[in-house]
Amino acid sequence: MRPAASAALLAGLAAAALLAHRTASVAAIAALLLVVCLRAPPGRRRLYLVGALVSGLAVVLVTPFVETIGSHPLWTGPTVPVLGQLDVTSEELRNGLFQGLRLTAVALAFAAYALLLDHDRLVQSARVARRSVLAVALATRLVPTLERDAAGLVEALRGRGVEVSGVRGRARLLSPLLAGSLERALNLAEAMEARGYGRPGATRSPRPGWTDRDRAALVAAALLVAIGALWL
Amino acid sequence: MALARVRDLSFSYPEAAPALRNVSLDIEPGEVVALFGPSGSGKSTLLRALAGLVPHFHGGRFAGRVEVAGRDTRTTRPADLAGTVATLFQDPEDQVVFTRVEAEVAFGLENIGTPPAEIPLRATAALEAVGAGELADRPVAELSGGELQRVCLASVLALSPELLLLDEPTSQLDPDGAAAAIGLARSSGAAVVVSEHRPERVLEACDRVIFLDEGRVCENGLPDAWLPRDPDLPSGEPTGAAVCGLEAVSFAYDRPVLDGVSLEIGRGEIVALLGPNGSGKTTIGKLAAGLLDAQSGRVVRHGRACYLSQDPGRYLVAERADEEVALAVGGDLVRARVALSDMGLAGYADRHPRDLSSGERERLALAAVLVAEPDLLVLDEPTRGVDPERKDELVRLLRAQAPGRATLVATNDLVFAGAVADRVVSTIPEREAVLA
Repeated sequence: MRPAASAALLAGLAAAALLAHRTASVAAIAALLLVVCLRAPPGRRRLYLVGALVSGLAVVLVTPFVETIGSHPLWTGPTVPVLGQLDVTSEELRNGLFQGLRLTAVALAFAAYALLLDHDRLVQSARVARRSVLAVALATRLVPTLERDAAGLVEALRGRGVEVSGVRGRARLLSPLLAGSLERALNLAEAMEARGYGRPGATRSPRPGWTDRDRAALVAAALLVAIGALWL
Repeated sequence: MALARVRDLSFSYPEAAPALRNVSLDIEPGEVVALFGPSGSGKSTLLRALAGLVPHFHGGRFAGRVEVAGRDTRTTRPADLAGTVATLFQDPEDQVVFTRVEAEVAFGLENIGTPPAEIPLRATAALEAVGAGELADRPVAELSGGELQRVCLASVLALSPELLLLDEPTSQLDPDGAAAAIGLARSSGAAVVVSEHRPERVLEACDRVIFLDEGRVCENGLPDAWLPRDPDLPSGEPTGAAVCGLEAVSFAYDRPVLDGVSLEIGRGEIVALLGPNGSGKTTIGKLAAGLLDAQSGRVVRHGRACYLSQDPGRYLVAERADEEVALAVGGDLVRARVALSDMGLAGYADRHPRDLSSGERERLALAAVLVAEPDLLVLDEPTRGVDPERKDELVRLLRAQAPGRATLVATNDLVFAGAVADRVVSTIPEREAVLA
C-alpha cells in the first residue's frame, strides 16, 4: 500500500477516536492502533509506546482533580487554593478514562506513522504542500535523532566516569539536546539550500500509480471519520 | 576562462572577526585544488563563498566579488547555483534530508529539475560509482559514518556539477576509502576544491595547493607541519603491567563485529588500533573502557578508564567550559581550570562550550577526560577535523602523559598513529582477530 494511503487510514482512525462518543469505541480504536504499532521493531517502538501510554495515563489521573462534574462523589479531599475543594466523582473518573484513551489513540496513530511508514515515499508522492509534508517528515525524524543524541551524551558522560541516573541526571541532558537540535537544524537548512531546495522547476522521481487497494484505503479513511462522528 | 573567480573577498560572520581577508584566486575548469590551513583559517568560509552560502545563508559583512560560471554570487541564490556547484559539507550526519539512501541521492536531482525518468538512473550510477550501490534501499540511520560519507559524496556527484566543493570529505573514511573518494572526485571532470586536514590524502591527486592562514592566502608554500609524511608504524611488543586485557572477546550488534579478539594494553604504552571502516575499532575501544559488555570472552581492567568518543564536541552538557571539565572530578573547578590551561584553553573557563570553535570544543572534550587522570585512556578518532599543527600538539601531550597510564587510540590516521604509538594493532576482518 502507498504510504499516503496508509497515512490517510491512520489519520482516519485518529479522527474517529477524537469524534467518537463511547469509551468502548475509543478503547477499541486505541487497541487496534497498539496492535499495529507492535509490528515495529521492539527497540524502536519502545519510546513511542511508553510516550503514548504514559501521556494517556497522566490524563486519566489528572482529569478527576481538575474537573468538577458529576454528582456521585467517591472521595472528598481538602480545599486547595485556586483549585478549590478536591473531590473525585464517578463521572470524572469515566471522563478521565475517556479523554486518556482519546489521547492514547491519537499518540498511537502518530507512533504508527513515525515507525511504520516510508516518509521518503510520502514526501515524494505529495502533489500539493510538499514543503509542509517534508517539514512533517523532518520533524518526525527528530524523535529518533534526539534518542541517538541522548544516547551519545550518556555515553560521553559514562566515558568520563559520570553515571546519568534519576530525573535530575536526565534533566541535565535537555538543554544540550535542544542546543544540539538547533545546530543540526541550521546545518541541515544550509545543506538543503546548497542542494537546490526551493528552486523553481523542481521535478519528482517517478512514482508508482495508485492501486485499487490504495483507493479502498482512502475510502475507508473517509468512512472511519463519518462512522466515528455518527455511530461510535 | 576561469570557472570561478574570487576578487578581493573579505567576509565577517555577524558579530565576529573577519574570516576572510582580501582573498583573490581563480579556479580553472577541471582542475583539482587542495585547500589547506589551520582550524579557523577560513577554509570552510571560502567554500561557502564559492557556493553562494556566504553571504546569502549566513549574513555578515561581505566585500569583493565571487563569480562562478559567470554568475555573481551576490545576485544569485545558492539554490540557483546548485547543479553548477555542489558542496559536500564536513559532517555527513547534518546534511541528510531523507531516511532512505536512494531518496537522499535523488533529492538534489529533483531540486535542479532533472527529467523524472533520469533521476533513478543517475542516482543509481552515482551510488555505484562510490561503491555504495548495495546501500540504495538501506535506511540512512543504519549506515556507518564511512558509508554515510560515501552516500553524501554520491549525492553531490549525481548532480554532475562543474564545481565540486569538498569540505573534509575523508574525515570518516579509512585510507583506502579516502583515496577512492578523492580519485572519484578527480575523475568526475569537475573542478574540485577540497579542504582537508590530512595533506597526504589529497596532495597526489591535486594540481594546486592554496594555504589559508587567518583568512589570507599565504604565498610562502606549505608550513613544515603540512608537508606530507610517510607513516612510520612501530611494531613493538606489549610493555608494562597490564592495565586492560581483552581475552577472546566476541561482540555483535545486528551482525557479528568481533570474534575471539584478544588485546593487552600495558601501563606506559600507547597502542594505536588501525583498521578499515566497520572492522570493530570503536567496539574494541568501548569494550576496553567498560562502555560495552563482552558477549563472550573476558575483559580485565585495573583502575579508572575514560573514553573520548568520535566527534566529542557534539556531546558537551554543561553551561561553562570549566564546569564541563569538572564533571569528571566531582565538580572540582580548580583541577578543571588546570586541565583547561594544559589544553591551551586557559581564558575559556567561563565560556559556553557551544560558543567555542569546533577545534576548541575538541580540546575541551579532551580536557574533560584527561582531568580525571585515568589509568586507561581510550580515544576514538581523536584527529578527525584536527589540523596537522594541533595534531602534533596532541602527539606531544599524549607522549608526555603516556608513562602514567595505558592509552588506546582507535584511528584511521596512519601518520598520527606512527607519530604517537609505541605499538600498532590492526583489525583485519578476513582474519577476524586482532593482530599484535
